Amino acid sequence: MDQQPKNQISKKGLTVWRVYGMIETAVIALIAGAAAAVTYFFDGPWWLYAIYAAFPIVLGFLLIYLFPKIRWERWRYEVREQEIELQHGLFIVKRTLVPMVRVQHVDTEQGPILRKYDLAEISISTAATTHTIPALITSEADEMRNRISVLARVAEDDV
Amino acid sequence: MSEMRYKLHPISAFLNFIKGLRELIFPFIIIFGVNLFRGGGESIADRGWQGLIPVLIGGVVLIFMLISGLIKWHRFVYWFEEGELRIEYGLFVKKKRYIPFERIQSLDYTEGIFHRPLGLVKVKVETAGTGKIGQADVELTAIPREDAERIEKKMEYAKRHNWEPILEAGEAVTEEVAEVSVKAVKTVYRMSLKELIILATTSGGIGVVISAVAVFLSQFSDLIPYDAIYQEVILFLRFGYLIVALTIFLILLLAWVISIILAIFANYQFTISTDEDHIYISRGLLEKKKVSVPFKRIQGIQISQNPLREWFGYATVTVESAGGTLGDKDEKIRLFPLARKTAIFPILSELFPDMEWEPVMKKAPKRSVHFFYRLDFFWMIPVAGLVSYFFYPYGLFSLLIFPIVILFAVWQHRTAGYALTRKQLTMEFRTVSKHAFFMMKKRIQAIEVTQSYFQRRKNLASIQATIKSGMLGAAARVDHMEEQDASEVLAWYEPSDSKAAK
Repeated sequence: MDQQPKNQISKKGLTVWRVYGMIETAVIALIAGAAAAVTYFFDGPWWLYAIYAAFPIVLGFLLIYLFPKIRWERWRYEVREQEIELQHGLFIVKRTLVPMVRVQHVDTEQGPILRKYDLAEISISTAATTHTIPALITSEADEMRNRISVLARVAEDDV
Repeated sequence: MSEMRYKLHPISAFLNFIKGLRELIFPFIIIFGVNLFRGGGESIADRGWQGLIPVLIGGVVLIFMLISGLIKWHRFVYWFEEGELRIEYGLFVKKKRYIPFERIQSLDYTEGIFHRPLGLVKVKVETAGTGKIGQADVELTAIPREDAERIEKKMEYAKRHNWEPILEAGEAVTEEVAEVSVKAVKTVYRMSLKELIILATTSGGIGVVISAVAVFLSQFSDLIPYDAIYQEVILFLRFGYLIVALTIFLILLLAWVISIILAIFANYQFTISTDEDHIYISRGLLEKKKVSVPFKRIQGIQISQNPLREWFGYATVTVESAGGTLGDKDEKIRLFPLARKTAIFPILSELFPDMEWEPVMKKAPKRSVHFFYRLDFFWMIPVAGLVSYFFYPYGLFSLLIFPIVILFAVWQHRTAGYALTRKQLTMEFRTVSKHAFFMMKKRIQAIEVTQSYFQRRKNLASIQATIKSGMLGAAARVDHMEEQDASEVLAWYEPSDSKAAK
């Protein structure tokens, strides 16, 4: 567990996660607002309002600031000649090793938010598992996809 | 040159019909049941012709299915051409499917009760297909046994000779084919009666039977006149708890006996045989099943022992094999439904000479034992607390759960371990049953090492290896091993081994 994989994902990925966090927080704030309205309507106790207010603020701090930061710092990947190594995780750090010969296909995917930041998600599938690198610069992702598919083709083994 | 076209045995028309019927049986019962009881005692005839509508519909459906079964049989032909098994079928739309012999993974034979008196078999042609679910395979509902053998011979022959000779010589090569395909099939294991009985009595089949009864009852819930039953039950309860308990016991006993009988039927004359490149497993009393597994597709071997069987030294061996159809019941092929562990290893090492069956396991370190029960406290403390509080004196018994869970965790900790040899990774772990996974390095799809915050503080890590099994993956996982061990496994698995070089 001593040596981490070399590459970090794009700094823009952090921004994208923050955007996701904002969206989630906004949804929760809306729900809290609705709950506050209901409480007002039924004359609920005052401390309920405090909870409603605290909830989005705490979650916002976690989802917009803390979690993306930890995740981004933890995310490492490395594509070598013969294997792909990934490391990610928030509380639980997960280290994955996939030999090139096992790779069946590679997908890149890009949603509207990712596209705006010129990022793409790359998924590496083996016969049994799928591994995703969440935010790479589009050109880098395409380049990596091609590289992996070339490398994966080199050694042909059954299954 | 047009090749000889073969048809299925006429009985398959009947079998198609039965199969269709089986799928419709519950809707049927419900429709009829609802209609019969809706009248509140008044019989169908009293309601005049309107009461007959469901019966008419039912009749039409039945006749339609009978005819469609006949047509399906009539339309279904298969033949061999250019090294392919070619099939033409279809009720309204004519469909053709050509399967190159090299693509056929295995032929599975099943002999049902209707097949056996007539010397027929059902043949399932398995391809490695990534086709849609339920479309991946071809099923020849009923063909004479000789025809099945002919397919096998043709297949073997085509695989060996790249199919050209068949084209040139046509039908004349049959004799030669017969010669070629004489391969030494050797029986390596036959289950003894004693093992069969132990298997049947210790299997978890009882749960299956109980749930089947439950499902059955729930399907009929519309039909059962609950009010009447309720009265009966009240009366019944007056006889006291004893009788209730006795009845439940009897029902369970009955379920158990049924499960024993089913298990005996399913595994009767269980035999494993092998030739150079396949393992053949055949079993069954009323319905004979023969499954073949190519060695090439075997991804890993799993040995499982539930506590009861572990106690007596028995184990179940399953083969994880790639391909096959999704949603197939027999996806995991049981190589040994049950056998003495001591008897298993010699046979396994005969079947798989490359693998090591009793490597020296590296166990989880002592300090990791706490990790096996720590998480459980999260739900145990509130549950035990609440139960003790609300049901004060007796609720305290819930505290007993702590020692039980901890003992269980210690047990899990004792089992956890792994072994690395040059080409093989072996992992042992316990859920309730003890599992040992034997995996060749070249079959492992990916290895993951995970480490939680608390594990990192104690320098521990969990290791997970994934292999392909069926259409999906199967994962073997040992928790809370030394961090160093985890790095070692990763380094072992890394093809370029850059870590060792650095």
